[in-house]
Amino acid sequence: MRPDENNVVFTDGSRLIIEALTRAGARVFIGYPITPANRLYAYANERFPLFLAAPDEISALQWAAGFSATGAFPVTATSFPGFALMLETLNMAFMMELPMVIVLAQRMGPSTGSATTGAQGDLLLLRGAISGGYTLPVFCPADFDDCWTLAAQSVDTALRLRTPVVLLTSKEMIMTNRSFDMAHLAPVHALAYDAYEGNGRFAPYAAAEAGAPPFLPVGQARHQVRLNASTHGDSGLIRKATPEALANTRRLQEKIERRVAEFGLYDYDTVPGADILIVTYGITAGAAREAISRLRSDGVPVALLVVKTLLPTPPALFHIFDQYGRLIFVEENLNGAFRSLCFGNGAGGRVRAVNKIGHMVTPSEIIEEVASCQTVS
Amino acid sequence: MPDRIVIKKKVPFCPGCGHTVVTNALAEALQRLNVDPLDVVVVSDIGCCGMVDGVLAYHTVHGLHGRSTALALGIALGLDTPDKKVIAIQGDGGATIGLQHLLEAARQNVDMTLIVHNNMVYGMTGGQISGLTSQAFKAERMPESRAIPPFDVCALAHHAGAALSTRAFIGDKVADLLEEAVRVPGFALVEIVEMCPAHGVDKVRDLHAMTAHEAATFTNARPTLRIRPRPTASFFDTLPRITQRFEATLQRPLAVVIAGSAGEGVQGAGDVLAYAGAASGLQTTKKGAFPVTVGSGFSVAEVILSRNPIHYTGIESPDVMIVVSEDGLGAAKHRIGPGTALLMDASLTPPPGKEAVLADFRKTAGKKGAALAAVAYWLGTHDVMPLAGLEAAATHHKHADKLLATIESAGRLVNGVLQHP
Repeated sequence: MRPDENNVVFTDGSRLIIEALTRAGARVFIGYPITPANRLYAYANERFPLFLAAPDEISALQWAAGFSATGAFPVTATSFPGFALMLETLNMAFMMELPMVIVLAQRMGPSTGSATTGAQGDLLLLRGAISGGYTLPVFCPADFDDCWTLAAQSVDTALRLRTPVVLLTSKEMIMTNRSFDMAHLAPVHALAYDAYEGNGRFAPYAAAEAGAPPFLPVGQARHQVRLNASTHGDSGLIRKATPEALANTRRLQEKIERRVAEFGLYDYDTVPGADILIVTYGITAGAAREAISRLRSDGVPVALLVVKTLLPTPPALFHIFDQYGRLIFVEENLNGAFRSLCFGNGAGGRVRAVNKIGHMVTPSEIIEEVASCQTVS
Repeated sequence: MPDRIVIKKKVPFCPGCGHTVVTNALAEALQRLNVDPLDVVVVSDIGCCGMVDGVLAYHTVHGLHGRSTALALGIALGLDTPDKKVIAIQGDGGATIGLQHLLEAARQNVDMTLIVHNNMVYGMTGGQISGLTSQAFKAERMPESRAIPPFDVCALAHHAGAALSTRAFIGDKVADLLEEAVRVPGFALVEIVEMCPAHGVDKVRDLHAMTAHEAATFTNARPTLRIRPRPTASFFDTLPRITQRFEATLQRPLAVVIAGSAGEGVQGAGDVLAYAGAASGLQTTKKGAFPVTVGSGFSVAEVILSRNPIHYTGIESPDVMIVVSEDGLGAAKHRIGPGTALLMDASLTPPPGKEAVLADFRKTAGKKGAALAAVAYWLGTHDVMPLAGLEAAATHHKHADKLLATIESAGRLVNGVLQHP
């Protein structure tokens, strides 16, 4: 886009996500409609080179895995009830090391809950989604710029690490419209998988230095490719717990942990004298930014950490936490998913929380908690 | 040539297992068709038959129980060429758990082959019955279920639209059937009734007596599903740009709640107001709140207009609340604060103790125009931005003519009546 052009539009976050995904190289969208992810489905039907309407969410992700096996990057979008059906196939894709992006639009649960009410209730589900506790990369946009950059980042991480990636969002991000200047959006370039170039025997799961193995699509004529959802060695053939197979399984975790520095994203905004850190992510970040703005204009020094890469949790976050006497985790859920992910149940008095369901957390509620921290200290 | 197809390893099945016969028949069929092994993708299921990968020189994908058909469908559409042969393999258990996938692949007539090894039992887990187990077999194994007939998976696939569905018995010319199934364009299902020496019928000659359905072949003359990438337009090219043509007079941020009934243009009125704000040089947001129903119940639009960036898109305390129906009043009245200016349709009664301006929006603009008429009326009587901005915004709407007429109608409203509590 040329900077001298007028690029102010009225849009929602869904459009930015879909546009960035396609520009990053996503080729096929396979969907089953569910509120509040419907705009993603509708826009994908306008924008993706290939679009398929699946009869259910199990089929949707199986088809997606099939496309991924042929080298066509797939995307789907869903909400908890649909994601629950995808869980087994998500594990399959993780084990087979098939790149894909699942946009998970959170809504209030439990169960079908309230389809048109936003929420931030699915993070711990994602933390435990892969049997054995393996890490599934999860990005979470906190504003429209993030919808753009993190959608592209999701494709990048999925391809580089050969893994499914979840772009975790919520109703208020993908269904709320705003005036938005697209002129400052960074260009998104088409990405591709790291292809195997060798001429020798191809071992589909042989990876250098515990990284992701180079990829070849099934059906190509140079080498036999084997993909496997069961425990397997380098060859892709099923194995019980042999040393080679266990090493391959451990690699699935190591490849993600070792590279967290490349994609551990967050916004950290501090001021001199701040001893209180507000920690938040996603749709609640807007309320936190507004609260910070009001607090600082009243002379209250407060720091803000907006986390963009929720899983794996960037190690750098804990160094930031260490610099503050009080942490306030702000989330639109009942029990503090990210807080318990960082601190378990034994957080103690230093770690406080603002939690809420059914409505967005307000700036005033955050300001009240800050005031109560100051009273205590 | 055969060693190009099947790797010379011992097959991983029990002696006397039907899977061995079918695996060799598949290799023979592909060899007869002169298919290059790397043009073949076998997608195997969970269960004994899924152990076949290691003896095959094709591409192999070993997935989940019952899902091989769905996974193979994605691969077939991803490859999308008749030169590539995608073959899913599952047992009667896999066909039962994945029946939806099987029917969908048949309905779409995807170019692939599905082999269903029907030995009437779950072999790997101890010989339990499946949805394809015959009544005669169940009479021995699980008498309490003997009144329940098995699925006829061939007939089901046929009725769903499969190009070919065929059932044969071990001992029949299985290689001939598989050759035809791989050759035929579209979805081909081959069900093979087999022995299971560990848990099921262990002699070929006993199979006919123990199965419910005899050999059969069905065909449908249907086009094969092919998908082709289509050119699409970037949203950068299709989203209308908002040109600032008007100058807002608004100074401090303004939070507007518009409350009415679903299907009555409330969200559209909010979008037009926000768009108009942007065309007047303001930052704007608009978020909706509504029940899961589409055309009934309340509908609330929340619009924020500001000279500065808007971080928080919710509204803590509305500056203005526009209410045009009873549904809307019920949904929004608890949010009326001490500083909220209330504009309501004249058919409504303000909540006790609340001051409101009442005007005939519904009568003047109809139920579907009331919300926008009220917005226009309010803009016309307050110092926010020019009404012309609202008209300019309405021209981008798909029902622009109606909206412009609605805005004009608001101009004919006499001053609303201020109703004191």
